[in-house]
Amino acid sequence: MRIRILNLAFKNLRRKFVRTLVLSLSVAVVTGSLLGATVFITGMKNALKIGTYRLGADILVVPEKYEAQAKSALLAGEPTSFYMDRSVYDRIKKMEGVKRASPQLFIEPTSFTCCYNVKTFLIAFDPDTDFTIAPWLEKHLKRRLTGNEIITGREMPVITGDTLPFYGTPFHVVGTLEPTGMKFFDQSVFMTMDAAYRMAADSRTKAVQPINIPRDKISAVLVQVTEDMTPDRMAIRIEHDIDGVKAIASDQVISAVRRQLGGLIKGIFVISSVLWVLALLLMSFAFYMIVNERQRELGLLRSMGATRGHVFKLIIGEAVITSLSGGVVGLVAGSALLLSFQGLIVHSLKLPYLLPPAGMLGGLVAAAVAFSIITGLISSVLPALIASRMEPYEAIRKGE
Amino acid sequence: MIEVRNLVKTYRIAGQSMRAVDDATFTIQDGEMVSIIGHSGSGKTTLLSLIGGLTRPDSGEVKIDGVNIWSLGDRELSGLRNTKISFVYQFSSLLPTLTALENILLPTAFGHVRQDAADFGMIYLEKLGLTDKRDSYPSELSGGQQRRVAIARAFVNNPRIILADEPTGDLDEETEQDVIQCFKDMNKDTGVTFIIVTHNKEVASRMGRQLRMANGILAENS
Repeated sequence: MRIRILNLAFKNLRRKFVRTLVLSLSVAVVTGSLLGATVFITGMKNALKIGTYRLGADILVVPEKYEAQAKSALLAGEPTSFYMDRSVYDRIKKMEGVKRASPQLFIEPTSFTCCYNVKTFLIAFDPDTDFTIAPWLEKHLKRRLTGNEIITGREMPVITGDTLPFYGTPFHVVGTLEPTGMKFFDQSVFMTMDAAYRMAADSRTKAVQPINIPRDKISAVLVQVTEDMTPDRMAIRIEHDIDGVKAIASDQVISAVRRQLGGLIKGIFVISSVLWVLALLLMSFAFYMIVNERQRELGLLRSMGATRGHVFKLIIGEAVITSLSGGVVGLVAGSALLLSFQGLIVHSLKLPYLLPPAGMLGGLVAAAVAFSIITGLISSVLPALIASRMEPYEAIRKGE
Repeated sequence: MIEVRNLVKTYRIAGQSMRAVDDATFTIQDGEMVSIIGHSGSGKTTLLSLIGGLTRPDSGEVKIDGVNIWSLGDRELSGLRNTKISFVYQFSSLLPTLTALENILLPTAFGHVRQDAADFGMIYLEKLGLTDKRDSYPSELSGGQQRRVAIARAFVNNPRIILADEPTGDLDEETEQDVIQCFKDMNKDTGVTFIIVTHNKEVASRMGRQLRMANGILAENS
């Protein structure tokens, strides 16, 4: 049987349980909020990266008056319907600087067609020119969509083999896309433009609420630019050459989101920094008090043979145990809160979000643990130095 | 052997300097039992702390086995306190978070670990009539029991010197006799040197040699 410094530290902390609890909780609040915020922001960046890669387009061309709806559809997956002449696509694909172009149809389904808890968005693409869904089809389905076949986003509550009716036409689910964090993909149903035009034509006889989409109408044109052209310049050129359209460079959308995220990050980090400084001050002050009220005990330890190093380790040990336990509580509480409320936050911010991959999450958790240890170290280093430098006799005398 | 030469310690109190220990010189042989008597504030406790390496003198030397302890660094001096010197105080010097047995074993946390420390602790608890108190916390022990645990702790690392500051100061007469008898027995059994600071003439008279201190000046009590 041997008494160890760490044993002593634990027992001292247990003796003043309420004080230890308050100090731990202060670190828990900072660690939890910082971890939650970091995971959330990383998740948004992750979704943005995956979503824009999946979109594959440098520019989205839509009718001039529908810029806001288009951005809202892209970022928040808000279902919308707007149309323009197919001639816009014909002109864009011939423009210098355009590498690839593909038309799409955006259709807002009637509310009672499918999936009560998900705002479904119908997107129709042209299999001959598409570069958004086609790469996935080639890789996973190894063939084109035919007839009334559809593929769905990951958040759609359906599985391969299900049948979904839209405007009176039954569609067969033949695949599900991997999650992207962007509702534009995750909550959408993808079909060929042919199928969409047929569905619209048939809706006159089959649907309660018919929809009218003539074959010469499209909603948007997705554009990839050549190497020597920038999306911004191409967007300006498209708007200059074609009346009544708005060319949205995906960079613009991303940088707008990044600006929005930047503000959010700044706000969160300012609040977290203030909380951290407060927690540091609270811990430092508490450990000054602890050292002060335990002068005699520390002097006694020195008289029994404790070196300055032993006393330093004891105080640092108590602080690190306090902050580490707070950090772990913060980690668990922060994760639980994030998981519980992420849907609500994402919904209110209207931004894409995808939980970062396991490796990155592990890194963030390790960083949070390290952060809590560092908090304990910083807050106690000065009190520990003071405690270790006290002359034993003075410490015993002053502690009387 | 303890050799003290021209030891001086001055404090500044309210802007005035006061010599707590004024040019103390004496030698104590191994195995001696020495008492230092004097009134409160005469400098007895300061002298004990200077001998025990707890406070640095302004000048002078304290040699233990020929080594001036104030020429040692923190680690060596702490090692000396851990292995050669032990203290017994008037106040309750037990840690409230540790049981009686853990308090006895506390010095082993700082370096010198004897393999039979736990057995040793139990033997002393038995010797001091505290076997059933091994798992009791200080708050569950009487003043006399606490003092006995502190005495057992002072012996855990087989020290050569015990420095006791008013070890019977707040004890009743019976417990006081027990404690002094315990010191005498241990001195006889192990040959450990005792220096006991006291203002109790009865306690002082039971030691082999008496030193008297007044206003920081030490003299042999004849």
